[in-house]
Amino acid sequence: MRSTVYESGALDEWLERWRDYFVTHYDEAGVEEKVSEAVDFAKQYADHGIVSVSGGKDSMVLLHIVATRVKPDVLVFHWDHGPYLIPREIEQKILENIHKVAPNAKICIKTYRAGFSERARTDWKTWYSAFFGTLDSLTKQFDVKYHLLGIRADESCRRKVRGRVVERKGWIEVYPLYFFTWKDVWAYVFKHSVPVPQVYFSYAKLLGWRNVRLVTFFDKEFEKYGSPQLDSVLLWRWKTIF
Amino acid sequence: MENLEIVFHFSTPISLGFPWIFFDSLLAHIMLREEFGERYYSLPTKVPIKDIPRPPLKYYRDVPVASVSVLEPNPGMYVFSYFKRGNFPFPRGKIRRGSGFFKDFYLKAVYVPAQRARFYATGELNEVRRLVSKVSALGKERNIGFGFVRKVEVMEIPSEFGLVKDGVAMRPIPVKYLKHYEDSAYLAYKPPYWAKESVELCAVPFTRVEL
Repeated sequence: MRSTVYESGALDEWLERWRDYFVTHYDEAGVEEKVSEAVDFAKQYADHGIVSVSGGKDSMVLLHIVATRVKPDVLVFHWDHGPYLIPREIEQKILENIHKVAPNAKICIKTYRAGFSERARTDWKTWYSAFFGTLDSLTKQFDVKYHLLGIRADESCRRKVRGRVVERKGWIEVYPLYFFTWKDVWAYVFKHSVPVPQVYFSYAKLLGWRNVRLVTFFDKEFEKYGSPQLDSVLLWRWKTIF
Repeated sequence: MENLEIVFHFSTPISLGFPWIFFDSLLAHIMLREEFGERYYSLPTKVPIKDIPRPPLKYYRDVPVASVSVLEPNPGMYVFSYFKRGNFPFPRGKIRRGSGFFKDFYLKAVYVPAQRARFYATGELNEVRRLVSKVSALGKERNIGFGFVRKVEVMEIPSEFGLVKDGVAMRPIPVKYLKHYEDSAYLAYKPPYWAKESVELCAVPFTRVEL
């Protein structure tokens, strides 16, 4: 009768089974070759680039690859959405994970000020202007040309047709993990023990490993995907913030 | 006022929008529906109703002596995923797919394939029995068949379990009313449960407490 969604023991056992599966996938599906290819690709851009890390599985894998095999002192950008969209405990964990994966990286954290108001959950238009405005100023501040992102072709048709190098107004986006599948990403996470927020596993158990994504919580923007309803049940503790 | 145990027997799994269902809010909902009749379904959305009827329950300070749902058996949660998109012949011309009839949406309903929901409360037996007999379904997504109630039983029990049972909180109780508590969170503890004024630092249901 504990209030936690899952009995921790049951979750551990379930997680262990999946860990075995993904580690086997890493060895058998040639994920290491994809990693080598991603390393070669990232090397072309890392010197004049910045790695954007949300703390989700894709960006953490990208950061791990870049920090361990390409450039340990890479420039990292992290966007803090504020307590109404990302609970502080999860944000704290994300920051710890970034420092753990890339201890020598230069980390730049920008905070979404409106994320400290409840309005952030319903008004996402200001988020877009704040985020892209920050990216623009960051590009100029650090004099970088490339933004390395953990975007994959497998995620959507739109991302697939977009290509691997996308020119934006003030910068160029490059996607080293472009050819990774969702299985490859999880395989990399488990094989190299890349830290990801625990909340992933609670969602993965309900939605499946393929569909689980780290996005802002209780966000009206994702209501059409049914996400806030799921958040209310799984993250009930953070539904009301004082 | 009698100590009561209320059991809802389901014929379909129950869908949840929050981990628990509050028994006092369920009674308040039925009372409000009785009061407003058909008008209940066309209430103004800009000005929410704040005068919620007081259910026929005992109160400990301002906390209703009524537990949250105990789902039995509890085989864990599952997600019902549904993607509504236009797979019918579209009319000629431009249509809006962002809203209205042709709107595309995903539905992710968290459900528990439980057979019963058990509640404990202290209140007026006959009035509670009359009110719960009007409940045809519990939880969310009732319009697509979740949480259909097959039978309701209201039984008198010797002890009061609406707040605490065997040293365990049966509902959110403000920590200021407790001597000891194991876990706490900001939760609504009285109706209206959607209002921020009802939220306080409370002991989490099903964790150990001492009144």
